[in-house]
Parts: sequence; C-alpha cells; structure tokens
Amino acid sequence: MEAKSKAGEWRNFERVLLPAVKDLHKIEVYELNEGYSALREVLTTDKWDPTSVTNEVKKSGLKGRGGAGFPTGLKWSFMPPVDPDVPRFLCCNGDESEPGTFKDRQLMEYNPHLVFEGMLIAAYAMSIKTAFLYIRGEFADWITLMESELERAYEKGYVGKDIMGSGFSCDIVIHKGAGAYICGEESSLMNSLEGKRAYPRIKPPFPAQKGVWGYPTTINNVESLACAPIIIRKGGEWYAGIGADKHPGPVLYGISGHVNRPGVYEYPTGMLITDLIYDVAGGIRGNKKLKALIPGGSSTPILRADMIEGVTMDADTLREAGSMMGTSGMLIMDEDTDIVSWLRRITHFYHHESCGQCTPCREGTGWIENIVTRIDEGEGNLRDLDLLLDLCSQMEGRTVCALADAAAWPVRYTIDRFRADFEAKCRPSLVPAGGILENA
Amino acid sequence: MTDFIKHPVVDLPERKLEPVISTEDLVFTGEEKSQIKTWISRYPTADGAIMRGLWLAQEKFGFLPPEVIKLVADEIGVPYANAYGVATFYTQYFKEQKGTFVLDVCTCFSCQLCGGYDMLHYLEDKLGVHKGETTADGAFTIQEAECLGACGSAPMLQVTNGPYVHNLTADKIDAMIDAMREGKMPEFASVTLPQDEDELGGNRRSDVTTVEPYGPCPVSETLS
Repeated sequence: MEAKSKAGEWRNFERVLLPAVKDLHKIEVYELNEGYSALREVLTTDKWDPTSVTNEVKKSGLKGRGGAGFPTGLKWSFMPPVDPDVPRFLCCNGDESEPGTFKDRQLMEYNPHLVFEGMLIAAYAMSIKTAFLYIRGEFADWITLMESELERAYEKGYVGKDIMGSGFSCDIVIHKGAGAYICGEESSLMNSLEGKRAYPRIKPPFPAQKGVWGYPTTINNVESLACAPIIIRKGGEWYAGIGADKHPGPVLYGISGHVNRPGVYEYPTGMLITDLIYDVAGGIRGNKKLKALIPGGSSTPILRADMIEGVTMDADTLREAGSMMGTSGMLIMDEDTDIVSWLRRITHFYHHESCGQCTPCREGTGWIENIVTRIDEGEGNLRDLDLLLDLCSQMEGRTVCALADAAAWPVRYTIDRFRADFEAKCRPSLVPAGGILENA
Repeated sequence: MTDFIKHPVVDLPERKLEPVISTEDLVFTGEEKSQIKTWISRYPTADGAIMRGLWLAQEKFGFLPPEVIKLVADEIGVPYANAYGVATFYTQYFKEQKGTFVLDVCTCFSCQLCGGYDMLHYLEDKLGVHKGETTADGAFTIQEAECLGACGSAPMLQVTNGPYVHNLTADKIDAMIDAMREGKMPEFASVTLPQDEDELGGNRRSDVTTVEPYGPCPVSETLS
C-alpha cells in the first residue's frame, strides 16, 4: 500500500490527548471538558465491568507508547485472577529518559488529570488498589505540579476510598526517581520503587506474575494510560479507526534536531515521515538537506535520507524500512552533521547509563565508547569498524535487560548505513588489498 | 596466609572518618520525621521510602555524606547498606559537596547537535572551571548531564535538580549567572506546544508567567 502525502490535511486533526483548552491542567477546567466522565461511566454504570474495560482497550488496538509497542489491552489481560489476600499493583512509567524523547513531560504538565483518570481506569480493569506513578527525578517541577493536582483529585473524591460511591477504592502514589536511565526498564523500575538499586531482573517471572514486592504488577507508559479514558469515552472502534490500521491512535510526536519548528505534536500514527519533517516541523533549518533521522529515540536504528521515501510512522512500515517506532521522539539531522561524533555521544550515554550488573554490557559499552572515540579523533584503523560490529554481536541478547541491545544497535546500524563516513575518519590502510600473505 | 590482612604489605591510604556534619546538626525535625512516616505508610515495606528520605536529606544538608545516609536509614528503619546502595546508584544524589548552584548542562545527542557543547564550553570559560568542578567561591558547579528530556528546546540546562532553562544562548547564560550571583533561582518556564501557538495564542497555562516557544536551534560549533 502506497502512503499518500497528507500535507496540510493534518491541520484539521482534532487533538484528544492535548486538546486546545486553556488551563486544562486545573481540575475545574478538566471537569468541564468531560474530565473524569469516563471513570464515572466505568464505575457507576452496569455497562462496564473489569473484563469489558479490558476488552474495549483490546478492541482499540492501542499499542504501548513507551518504546516496545506491546498491545496494552493484552498486557492487562495477563494479570492472574483476583485473590483477595494478594495485593496487586499498577505502575505508570514516567521515567522518560530515552534521548530524543520529551513527550510525557508535556502530557504531565498540560493534562495531568487525564493520566490519573487513565491510571484509575486501568486499576479498575485489573482490580488494583494501589497505583504508583514513577516520574524521573529530573522532572522536579512537574512532580510538584502532579502532586498538587493529585491532592485536588483526592479532595474531590476521584482518587482514594470508595470513588464516586461505587465501592471501588484506589490510591495513587507518586514516586520520585533520582536520575537513572535504566529505571525506564520495567523490572528495574520495580526495584527502584522497592527502594533498591535499580538493577533489572531476569524475566520470567514477568511482572504480571511477580512484580513489585513479588505481587502481580502491570507497568504502562504515561501516554498509553492517558489513552484509556479516551477509549472509554469515544469507544474502542473510534480509536482503532484513527491512523494506521495495525498501530492506531493519536500519538505525541516529539520532533527535535535541525528543524525549523521542533516540539511535541499530536497527530495520528501512520503519518508520512516526510510530511512530519517538511510540513509539520517546517522543514530543515537553513534549507539544508536531510542526512539522517532516528524515528523514536536513541535505540531505534538510524535511517538515511534515501530510506524514508513513502515510509510512515507506524510499527509495521518502519520495520520494513529497517527501523522501529520506539517512543516516536524523532531526531532530524541535516547534511552537515558529523555522524561519527554523534555516535560517539550515544556510546558515551550508554556507557554512563549501564547499571553494571551484566559484564557484556558494563564492559562492552565502555569498549565501544573507547573505539568510537578513537575513530572520531582520527586515530582509528579500518579494522576497528569490524571490531565494533563483533563487539556488538557479543553484547546483543546476552544480558538481563535490553540495554546492551539498545547500546549495540545504534553502533551496528550507523556503521552499516554510514560506513563511508566512518572510513573517511579512519587512518588509511597500509596493507594492500588482498592482505600481506598473498603478496609475499 | 591471612597475615597480610592484619599487616598489610602496602600502606593503606588514611581514611577520613570524621563526619562533615556535626552531631548537633545531624537530626531531623519533628515535621520532617512525620513526613517520612507518611511516605513509609504509602509503601508495602519501609524500603520504598528510602529514595524520598534521601531527597529530603539532600535538600536539608545539601549533599549526602555517609553520616547523613545513616541518619536516613535509621529514621526509616532499614540497614545502612541498603540506603548507601541506593544513594550511590543514582546520579542525582550528591555524594560530595557541590556549589550553591549546580548547573547540569545537557549534552546528550539532541543537545549536542544543537550546540550543547558550545554552551558547556561557554560556561566553563565564563566561570573558569571545568565540568565536574566547583568555583573557588563555592557558588557554581558545572556538570555534563545525560538526556534531561527537553530535546525540543535544546540546548538546555537544569539548575540544582530543579528548574530547567530552555533554549540557551550566551546572553541567556550571562543573565542567568548574574541573577544567581544575587541568589536568584531561575523561574519555572513552560514550553508551549507549536500547535498551541496556532490555536491558543501560545500560552496554555494562565498560572505561569514565563513562557517559551520551541524554536529552531542554533548551529553547533563543536560537537564534543
């Protein structure tokens, strides 16, 4: 199926996650704009029970917005049957640290109650009585805002005991992180919540079986949970009709880098990448040419300018094009960008953020950084490129969590797709083609 | 065989064990204690409150030397080792003394491409210290930060784990440093969405005075 440019048409899209309402972060304004109506409907009408809420989310086709793109409704249905003696927990993952991603911060600032309402609906669907909202420590100002708005919601009886007289009770606890990229990984987020060093855990057991404090737990991204009230209000079918067929819904695109109008935009999935760059974001700064882009955060494979013709922002098309949807935080690079220096900064990031639990990752990220730095400084040899690729294959899939993979992919794909840039920075080879032995 | 433990072959470096914070100061007030109790009550076990407790202690004492970590651990009722492990894992907990204003300049790749290193070098030149160092008067510490999640408004920095300063320029840094010398923290700035500029006149929140739009980033001169 050939995607057609919808340049200009996107202006008519009506936003639902961040609608154009002034002061929407205040609970009074939120209430006037259908706020907590989905929760009221779910709790007080007979139409809904936990199973039907989960089914509605399944029907909507909502895929997680945190990077992996796992179907949210399906995740909810993994929770074991309710046992009154066993507590269950919900975690909302607001540890937005993937470089290139800055959408959840804006959602939490401008529409915090949508996040709370989504958490409560998810808690109801899984019969959960405590929901944790984990926010990274750097977002101190936004945590303060969320805490004061949560207090309002408690005062109005939307959170806490016996919500709206329905007999359903749920508490929301905001947990403040303290600066560790790895906390965005669900099992290390759980360790961090428990007040431990945030080392990822081996899976299985999955969080639904053994999560925080060993109890059944579900972890969802902020944006995924914020979609729940919209799905209840407008129906799963309506939601499934937006954007790409297999990856539907409105999505927050965070566009950064060398564009004229960077920022967070809410548009449907399945938009042409070229539309996003040249129409939505106003084109490349200084009328330069596009060199490369990453579609969804630092771990998603880089795409060359000639690879994005007709590619749309949804999981399937991006996979065919050789990348991933990730967090939909796009970084645009113009023709002057030094790809080697750029990769050097990424490798530094992963070296800094490796938690140090598994050897391939702890050591590998450091070695990769050293070698890429060597190449960037003009001290590298051509054989270093193959050494890097070999290192990557020694790291991928050999660690507890996916950080090693996330660190190896940018290196692998950037060398693969920009090999000439790397070779240009390496010292020229003194060995004639064919090797020494053949010529001896 | 175990002789070398009692009589080490090499001279061990002298370890400074005197606490930095005196015993009289090393206490939580009643209010802080009840705050910690509230946090403990929100988690199934007391451990959950360690991170909040450390945050509270860092705001009170400025940084977390071992005796402060021990104070937090004792107050929450967890082993010292647990609290120490947490404090040393996360980058935002300061284990040594920092300046009054800690300037975390983001240089991760979005900021790098948009001149994050230019801003870092400008700050280093202006204050006369390298990243990771504190000025002689103890006012400023410059640090290089990993992605702070504000890639659209790059380059940017964060002040002492608090407010963000977006869309940095040399002039903006000058004004910020001048204000800080008078003890003023930068104000919270709300970054408006480009779509809101079209539909809401560029400000979504009436309770925030400082509003900044996303804009095209400057051309970066150095990439490392």
